[in-house]
Amino acid sequence: MNLELIKTIEQTLYREARLLDQERYKEWVGMLTEDIHYHMPGIETRYRRDKTEQVHDLSRMAFYNDNLEDLKKRLRRLESGTAWSEDPATRYTHMITNIEVVPTEKEDEVLVYSNFLAYRNRNEKDQDTLIGNREDIWRKTAEGYKLTKRMIILKQNVLLSKNLNVYL
Amino acid sequence: MKIEKFKDNGRYDSYMNLDEGWLDRRVFWEQSIYEREMEQIFARCWLFVAHDSQVPNPGDFLTTYMGEDGVIVCRQKDNSVKVFLNSCPHRGNKVSFADAGNTRRFVCNYHGWGFGTDGALMGMHEEYCYDAGDIDKSQWGLKQVAKVGNYKGLIFATFDEEAPSLENYLGDFRWYLDMLLDNEEGGTELIGGCIKSVIGANWKFGVENFIGDAYHAGWTHDSGARAMNNGQPFPAIDMKNSYHASVNGHGWEFGTEGMGDLVLLGRPKVLEYYNKIRPKMAERLGEMRSKIFGSVASASIFPNVSFLPGISTFRQWMPKGPTQFELRTWVIVNKNMPDDIKEEITKGVMQTFGPGGAFEMDDGENWENCTLTNRGVVTRREKLHYRSGISRRIEHPELPGIVYQGQYNDANQRNMYQRWLDLMHAESWKDVPEQYSPRLNGKETMGPKAGFKAG
Repeated sequence: MNLELIKTIEQTLYREARLLDQERYKEWVGMLTEDIHYHMPGIETRYRRDKTEQVHDLSRMAFYNDNLEDLKKRLRRLESGTAWSEDPATRYTHMITNIEVVPTEKEDEVLVYSNFLAYRNRNEKDQDTLIGNREDIWRKTAEGYKLTKRMIILKQNVLLSKNLNVYL
Repeated sequence: MKIEKFKDNGRYDSYMNLDEGWLDRRVFWEQSIYEREMEQIFARCWLFVAHDSQVPNPGDFLTTYMGEDGVIVCRQKDNSVKVFLNSCPHRGNKVSFADAGNTRRFVCNYHGWGFGTDGALMGMHEEYCYDAGDIDKSQWGLKQVAKVGNYKGLIFATFDEEAPSLENYLGDFRWYLDMLLDNEEGGTELIGGCIKSVIGANWKFGVENFIGDAYHAGWTHDSGARAMNNGQPFPAIDMKNSYHASVNGHGWEFGTEGMGDLVLLGRPKVLEYYNKIRPKMAERLGEMRSKIFGSVASASIFPNVSFLPGISTFRQWMPKGPTQFELRTWVIVNKNMPDDIKEEITKGVMQTFGPGGAFEMDDGENWENCTLTNRGVVTRREKLHYRSGISRRIEHPELPGIVYQGQYNDANQRNMYQRWLDLMHAESWKDVPEQYSPRLNGKETMGPKAGFKAG
């Protein structure tokens, strides 16, 4: 894997994180391909012997199981000006680490593993921290690398927050 | 200014007046009131514990809570369901740490006491440590609930031997529940998995919101409505042809326009599907119920289950102290729907009423602050206003229950708190007064004529 490509992917992930921190969602959507699949399954605690497919079975409950249209629909809420629980604004920091870039069978696509720590704080002292892994496919386009698939594995069983007004 | 100190003597008449329409905020705050709720309400009422579809096969189990008591719900070989405490009678440890699964036995990690899927004690590690006469195994199984019941796929349990039958507990509310549970041949199922989240609010705020608070929707959820429905605001409410209906503390608020909630789900294919089956629905449930289903509506089963018929979110508010609850969210669909409609509904629910949903995100913050402002000792003594629509009670020939006209109303909330008050004061179920005399006692709940006022 050439170092330049790894550097390019890292910078792309950091740029994406910065756009999310700054709520620049239009530009963030610009980093997604038309056929994006954005998935964060809800994972129950089960015994090791239990082979229920909880991650890849798309018919099960998921925090996110979205295509581009679905994501845009969610984001339209913020454009209305009446998303009361976003005003005053939530303060976000996304930290992205453990980036691994792996070639795929498709020449224009790379598999990218990363970990995230997303911190939220709002109003007086509401705060929470979401930590987990991501498994992405990034595709090379004329406008740089774009995200075409993301699987997010959050490490909480009970989401220790009242909502998920955040993209990971 | 007279400072009135809070003293909990088990009487709460001075903390609400439902004829005048107000509540004292301390019912959402005080630890001693919360603990009494656990005894008087959660240890006595029928509580939802599972849907049939979550435990279809013998040995299938899930873990949940009845109040703050952890329980296991397990399907038996004879297809019945048993519900017992998830706590070993030896030292008290949990015997299952999974949310769900399939098993032949539950074994405690501490000393290896093993229990059958019926909760009976089968044996233990190093059994020779017990001499003859030390233990009668038949007496030391996992503690069973008093009764288990099932209404059209919803499994309920109660810790109280004296509780009325589930049929009487739900009473005429079954007429309304049939719209959710029996609007199509084959009944319902829950989509696999469960989304759990934590909200720092009193559990009653969630229940009362779904039991009757259509009023908040147009304002709180303006942004959600516009997101899901092409920039359109929340649908207009017809105050003449919309209602509150309450039975035994349960409540359903609804319009009769047939499509409001279905539109807000933001999935046109689902609206199309229901419009297609609506004539059949009218044959099953009557014209009136087929027009109510899909309208702007929300409902709660006392004490802590809520749902949106049409939007298809089904949820339970698990109390975790006076200022916190755990919200469990499921998606309820008709078993006989094609897979693509089930998928559309599942996606729609998680985009509206999951933790990342366009509607839900604005609710949690409201309820948290409705609760936490009461940290202030002066604030906490102030009243809250619950008088909206207090003079709009009507007798409706087709709608059973205590019915109020106009969906913007606090009627169901007042009736829920009346039930709360009655249970908090009652020594036993015999002391819980009837709020209303049922139309459906011993009668069929289905069909076009069910629920009509006699004569």
